[in-house]
Amino acid sequence: MSNTTNTTNTNSSQSRQGLERSIVNIIIITAIFSVVISLLMLFNYIQLAQNDPIESKTLSTLVELLSDDPNNDTLKTEIRAFDLMARKAYFTNQWQTKTGAWLLLIGAVVLVISLRYYHTLIAKIEKPDAENKSQQTSRILSSKWLLGSGVLVIGLAIIASFLSTDQLNKYEIETTLIDASNDEIEIVDLTQIEEPEKVKEENTTKIEISTPEVAEEKKVASTLEEKPAPIAKELSKPKVQFPTLAEIKQQYNSFRGYLGNGVTAAKNIPNSWDVTAGTNILWKIKVPVKGFSSPVVWNNKLFVTGANLQERWVYCYNTNNGELIWQQQANSIPGSPTTAPKTTDDTGLAAPSVVTDGIHVSAIFGTGDIITFDMNGNRLWAKNLGVPDNHYGHSSSLLSWKEKLIIQYDTNKGGRLLTLNIQSGEVIWDIKRSSHISWASPLLIEVDNKMQVVTSTEPTVAGYDLETGKELWQIDCMMGEVGPSPAYGNGLVFVANEYATLAAIDPVKGEIVWEDNYYLPEVASPVVSDGLLFIATTYGVFACFDVHTHNMYWEAEFDEGFYSTPIIADGKLFAIDMNGVVHIMKVDRELKQIANIPMGEAVMTTPAFVDGKIFIRGNEHLYCIGK
Amino acid sequence: MKNNLRKYYQKSSRIILLLMLTLFTLSLSAQQQRFPKPEFETGYTQPSPSTPEPRATAWEYVDIAILLLVMSLAAWFILRKRSRKGILWLSIFSLVYFGFVREGCVCSVGSIQNMALTLFEPAYAISLPIILFFALPLLFSLFFGRVFCASACPLGVIQDLVIIKPITLPNWLNKTLGFIPYIYLGLAVLFAATGSDFIICRYDPFIGIFRMGAEFSMIILGIAFLLMSLFVARPYCRFLCPYGVLLGWTSKFSKHHLSITPNECISCKLCEHSCPFNVIDEPTEELKPEEKIQNKKRFTLYALLIPVWIFVGGYAMSLAHPFLSKAHPDVYLAELLIEHPELKNDTENLDIQTFLSSGKPMHQLVEEAKLIRSKYNTASWILGGFLGLVIGIMLMNQFVTRRRKDYTPNKIDCYSCGRCMNYCPVKATSKLSKEDKQSV
Repeated sequence: MSNTTNTTNTNSSQSRQGLERSIVNIIIITAIFSVVISLLMLFNYIQLAQNDPIESKTLSTLVELLSDDPNNDTLKTEIRAFDLMARKAYFTNQWQTKTGAWLLLIGAVVLVISLRYYHTLIAKIEKPDAENKSQQTSRILSSKWLLGSGVLVIGLAIIASFLSTDQLNKYEIETTLIDASNDEIEIVDLTQIEEPEKVKEENTTKIEISTPEVAEEKKVASTLEEKPAPIAKELSKPKVQFPTLAEIKQQYNSFRGYLGNGVTAAKNIPNSWDVTAGTNILWKIKVPVKGFSSPVVWNNKLFVTGANLQERWVYCYNTNNGELIWQQQANSIPGSPTTAPKTTDDTGLAAPSVVTDGIHVSAIFGTGDIITFDMNGNRLWAKNLGVPDNHYGHSSSLLSWKEKLIIQYDTNKGGRLLTLNIQSGEVIWDIKRSSHISWASPLLIEVDNKMQVVTSTEPTVAGYDLETGKELWQIDCMMGEVGPSPAYGNGLVFVANEYATLAAIDPVKGEIVWEDNYYLPEVASPVVSDGLLFIATTYGVFACFDVHTHNMYWEAEFDEGFYSTPIIADGKLFAIDMNGVVHIMKVDRELKQIANIPMGEAVMTTPAFVDGKIFIRGNEHLYCIGK
Repeated sequence: MKNNLRKYYQKSSRIILLLMLTLFTLSLSAQQQRFPKPEFETGYTQPSPSTPEPRATAWEYVDIAILLLVMSLAAWFILRKRSRKGILWLSIFSLVYFGFVREGCVCSVGSIQNMALTLFEPAYAISLPIILFFALPLLFSLFFGRVFCASACPLGVIQDLVIIKPITLPNWLNKTLGFIPYIYLGLAVLFAATGSDFIICRYDPFIGIFRMGAEFSMIILGIAFLLMSLFVARPYCRFLCPYGVLLGWTSKFSKHHLSITPNECISCKLCEHSCPFNVIDEPTEELKPEEKIQNKKRFTLYALLIPVWIFVGGYAMSLAHPFLSKAHPDVYLAELLIEHPELKNDTENLDIQTFLSSGKPMHQLVEEAKLIRSKYNTASWILGGFLGLVIGIMLMNQFVTRRRKDYTPNKIDCYSCGRCMNYCPVKATSKLSKEDKQSV
């Protein structure tokens, strides 16, 4: 019996030993297998890192050779063959890596299972501790370590506070120094500024016209320094006498003339000229930096802007001879984006026109930079309104009335209308609107002896009290991308947009008087005079309506459409199509064409008029037409 | 001779395992994409994907159903069947499915961040499956203990399966390291709530293994944790896992928690070393009268110090809020550009170039960064206060005297893996008599 038991035990022990040996063998085999696979993968990785077939230098050399000899068909075939080989090598490598990873995973799993099983076989139940460890001692020790951990965490937090500098506050301090007393406005003390940057003769971009013959153009040699105006410590607000409406009417102080309505009081406007022959062309110059802002005139000074991705400029030209009086760059403006926002080529960053009151001249750019100079080009203040989220580019022009600079700032982020103090740049009122983006410019109208700002956006046309910014009336009648600005005449506000409507609105009641949708403009604004409303469309149709009955008196179809807004001057309509042909028509119930004069280049801007002179900015040149 | 052979095999097998895992690390990091990525002229280098492809909604609910099923089965195995084997096979299934098939995402551990973000950022829309992934394990632990950790969490399971020779850490070290998950939880919530980062996901050590490829450093981290797991069981779960903190809170109240013995404990001490995580509470010793008085004094002192801990913690952390806020990309970028404006010309810096091309002005970036920093200030007070409270309570709890006669799993820390059950010699059938106890 005893022998049998011993034999059984011996057999069992031998069997167990055999099992253990087998497991150990499996462990060794899987371990070696895994190590070999790992080494192969590592080798593969190193090989790939050192000699990436996709980054082959040979291939690059062959491609370079091909660029020197693009018609070499043998070389092309060789490159294709090499490229195919490189790609095959790449994918083979990928397959090897992937397969290797899976093999390795399988090896690791088998190894772990074997190891666990082996340890299960050899494991023994540990003997319980003979004596219990002192729990009290353990508690005290744990509490000490926990206390230390808490102190350590607090200590680390304090050290971290010393290690980091608050750069954001540093930025604030630096900005405050630049900004003088205003948070975001750079202000210049007029008494401390240097002489404005006068333009030297060799720097002008003027092309002298020896009337009646057109002179040769001179090349632009703009080498003026980009020097921001000096910064004053204190705000200077000299008391100024703002011009009256009568005085403004004698000028062309903003986009579409006084109050932004497209009607001027200018007389003796020529209706015949010849650009090619130079007839009635007083001067013609090239503005150094391109822009779609329209010319604005005050006495003998004409203002336009230009911008590219790097620079934003305001130019002041002498209306008598086209000489550049001064030019100033809108730079070093706090908050101005370091990289200009993207705009389309037909809008750019200098689409809005400047405004002037004969004391100040203010300009806004597609970057959201707004800047004001005095009439001599001394920089008074500048600020950034926030980069406009505008997929074409910001194009709403500025208006001013007395001390208020009016800015329509509707972007994809929402509607905004604000007025700044033209002397200091301080905000007078700033309203957020529920309306959407707009490219239209504001209009000033006088209703019941009070000035209203009228704006047209999608979907709202609204009137605001200029003094307070309070909304006086609003009508939702627009849709789409609103480009045309509103017009005013005969007590009615006229708004229109392609795919929306043409509407006449009573600004007293805030009601639509009539609507029409026969001809709708897309970019050019309507204009009103003598009970007649004129619409210029992008598809070339020009139409005249009765302001009260919306009865269409006449329509004319031209070869090219209109981006430039028609202007009424001296009883005549001046409408420039996109080819640059100036169509002059009489303001009448019947179509009476006076002249169609080609400028010789495309024109997208709106012309400016003063007594005896027309100023037209084409895509290439700025013209002064007169006798 | 036989013992020598065993020792030789043990030693050599460990060395081979170490070597193999190290090489495995290197090779995994060499993983490339199946198809070449597009090449950019700007020199842009595509980062490795940090999250798997989006999953169809229907499959997300399948995942929920599987999670529910796994946890239900785990509770059944632990409480009814008392089967360690059942838990083992269930955990293998979870590792394969939630780990390798689902590539470790969405996981309950990371869902803390989604929950934090959705609470503090209304614009962030959280999906129902994520909410369920967050809530279901907590709900189960509230009733059945941490069965999720035992069988459903791929992060825990992968560590659990490689436990070979666990060592017992001293109690003070366990307690001290046990504070780290609270810090990690606090930081994870802080960064997620402020929209800065999802650090739990970013620094998930095992994700590279589940996805068969990741950044080299992450693969190294994962392998390091696995190597550590050979000897220190579940190091991530015990000393890092922020979700474990929440599970511990709910598990503390679980009524149907795993018990070592199916019947009365006979204090045979056989289970004393059965737990690789050292979470079996021993019967309490009888304290001397002077020790009792000392403990009462310490308890009172630490209880009174809790408000001080909260304030000091909050204040200290608030001082560090500028440092912490650098985790937010906008704050980091704003400070970088203020400190090094010349970097605007660095065409290689993609963050800066992206910002510049957006057209956003610098002052706007700074304003946004300031707003984020002010949020950090408040959040840092809360974080510091929370950590102070945790330390205060942990210290106080050291001197809470609870009378315990039996060996019982610690409900807060026990992962319900069921290892200890196999060590208990007591049968489940009937109550033991004195004679039975003596015979055992």
